[in-house]
Amino acid sequence: MDTAFLIESAAKVACVLGFILVGVMLTVWAERKLIGHFQDRIGPERVGPFGILQSFADMLKLLLKEDVIPSQADKIVYFIAPALSVITGLVALSVIPFGDSVTLFGRTIPLRIADVSVALLFILGTTSLGVYGIVLGGWASNSKYPLLGGLRSSAQMISYELAQGISLVGVILMTGSLSLVEIVRQQEHLWFVVPQFFAFAIYVISGIAETNRAPFDLPEAETELVAGFHTEYSSMKWAFYFLAEYTNMFVVSAVAISVFLGGGHGPFLPPFVWFLIKLGAFLFFYIWLRATFPRLRYDQLMGFGWKVLLPASLLNLAITATVVALKG
Amino acid sequence: MQTHGVPMEYYQIVSALLFTIGLVGVLARRSALVIFMSIELMLNAVNLSFVAFSRMHAQMDGQIFVFFVMAVAAAEVAVGLAIIVAIFRNRETASVDDIHLLKG
Amino acid sequence: MIDGVLFTVFALTAVGFALTMVFRRNPVHCALSLVAVLLSLSGMFILLNAQFIAVIQIVVYAGAIMVLFLFVVMLLNVKGETPLLTPGAAKGFGFLFALVAFVELLWIALSSVGEGAGRGTAPPVGPTFGSPAEIGRILYTTWVFPFEVTSILLLIAVIGAVVLAKRKFS
Repeated sequence: MDTAFLIESAAKVACVLGFILVGVMLTVWAERKLIGHFQDRIGPERVGPFGILQSFADMLKLLLKEDVIPSQADKIVYFIAPALSVITGLVALSVIPFGDSVTLFGRTIPLRIADVSVALLFILGTTSLGVYGIVLGGWASNSKYPLLGGLRSSAQMISYELAQGISLVGVILMTGSLSLVEIVRQQEHLWFVVPQFFAFAIYVISGIAETNRAPFDLPEAETELVAGFHTEYSSMKWAFYFLAEYTNMFVVSAVAISVFLGGGHGPFLPPFVWFLIKLGAFLFFYIWLRATFPRLRYDQLMGFGWKVLLPASLLNLAITATVVALKG
Repeated sequence: MQTHGVPMEYYQIVSALLFTIGLVGVLARRSALVIFMSIELMLNAVNLSFVAFSRMHAQMDGQIFVFFVMAVAAAEVAVGLAIIVAIFRNRETASVDDIHLLKG
Repeated sequence: MIDGVLFTVFALTAVGFALTMVFRRNPVHCALSLVAVLLSLSGMFILLNAQFIAVIQIVVYAGAIMVLFLFVVMLLNVKGETPLLTPGAAKGFGFLFALVAFVELLWIALSSVGEGAGRGTAPPVGPTFGSPAEIGRILYTTWVFPFEVTSILLLIAVIGAVVLAKRKFS
């Protein structure tokens, strides 16, 4: 554990953090623009060319806004809940391989923060911990809409976590490893989306439900619960929840790309660029879904998760296990 | 190929400390939920002890035991919390001092 | 050296939050302190080459069991009780007993660690120690019977929890 390694790790962490912050701002801008065009209007266009500095302006506004705290709120929990959401989202990014490696100052630096042998389980663990930010935010606000929104949202998240985890086990069986770097490496010739197409579909749907995005965003829908668990949050704390939601979108997309879509493998261009292209495509898909589908009612949502996705993922696991065992 | 830097007895001391704190929680608190949480703390202290001993003898059996302890703890928490919910529905209280119908 | 620093941090966090858990009035604060203890223990497991168990601890214990606890605490809306400790404990009996138990535990644990030159060291282990592959291999060969029994136990627990928490049909 020499100083060069520590400096390298710290630099990588700073890069990923910067990447996420810029990426989230770009995604917010892209979402507003794209949804605008889907709805036959233009979206933000005044602040900077094509309105690209709109999210920057919003961030400045949020920083300067008054921070309102409900009087009976539990202060400690109220403060740490948004931080928990952001922390769990960002920590999951520490095991994602962003590309191959780059040579700088005579050292070969792999484009990932850590290569953990249990990386997929670690990411599942951090998404499980992400539930706390929401349920605590809903409870600490000491108000009925946030409480209901928080409980509903966390019940939804823990229900879809199961299908999400089990859909990944098919790929784990095929590669024999939990390490994301190893899984990406084994997709050199064939992306796992081809043999594991159903698992991919199940993973993407559960991922959308996990991140509370449309059409599964009832817990934070304005027409239903004011704003769900983040009703009583203002200014930077609300911005943190927002940041956490988009960071989770990034994590789900990045895991789907690494596990199913080859994670950087592709002709001609360097792996990092391919990763960005696939990430962009995934985020576009997320935004497209939001613009297209009406939201599911809560009982429909829960029924779908437990009665359709979970048995489907178990079936996929059983079939994959049989095939892998028969092939020797 | 990894030797260990921290002496094994430090882990046992921490485990015994956590177990005792959990014991204090079970004996001294009146809320059924907090007593339950203290029991979970005791289970976790035992898990730490198992894993430390497993590492000390370089055998995996201790970790397998921890695996089973976690599964059983999950089952126990589910049933225990269901019981607490059922009692709360009947008696409107979660304090163990108020549940003394069998007292002579 | 880095092991020592990490161990000290994890041990202090675990013991500190355990004390917080036992002595806070608000049950939600107690539950959150317990989550912090579980996370510090998970860190200690990684130091002890138990990577799979450490991550399973986060996924199962901190991510599912404690969420269930929090749900029940929030739905039942239990407030903290007014005299925090039982009458017996307020007089100090519980603490005395716990002290005796602590000394006894320490005695037993330290005497099984070994004496003399062997005290405190741990033999080097290979790179697969604590990996999921190793756990899988042992779980499905030597320990397959307890594994199957545990699955039946979990099924019983699910049925039991559903039956106990149902509202009765009038």
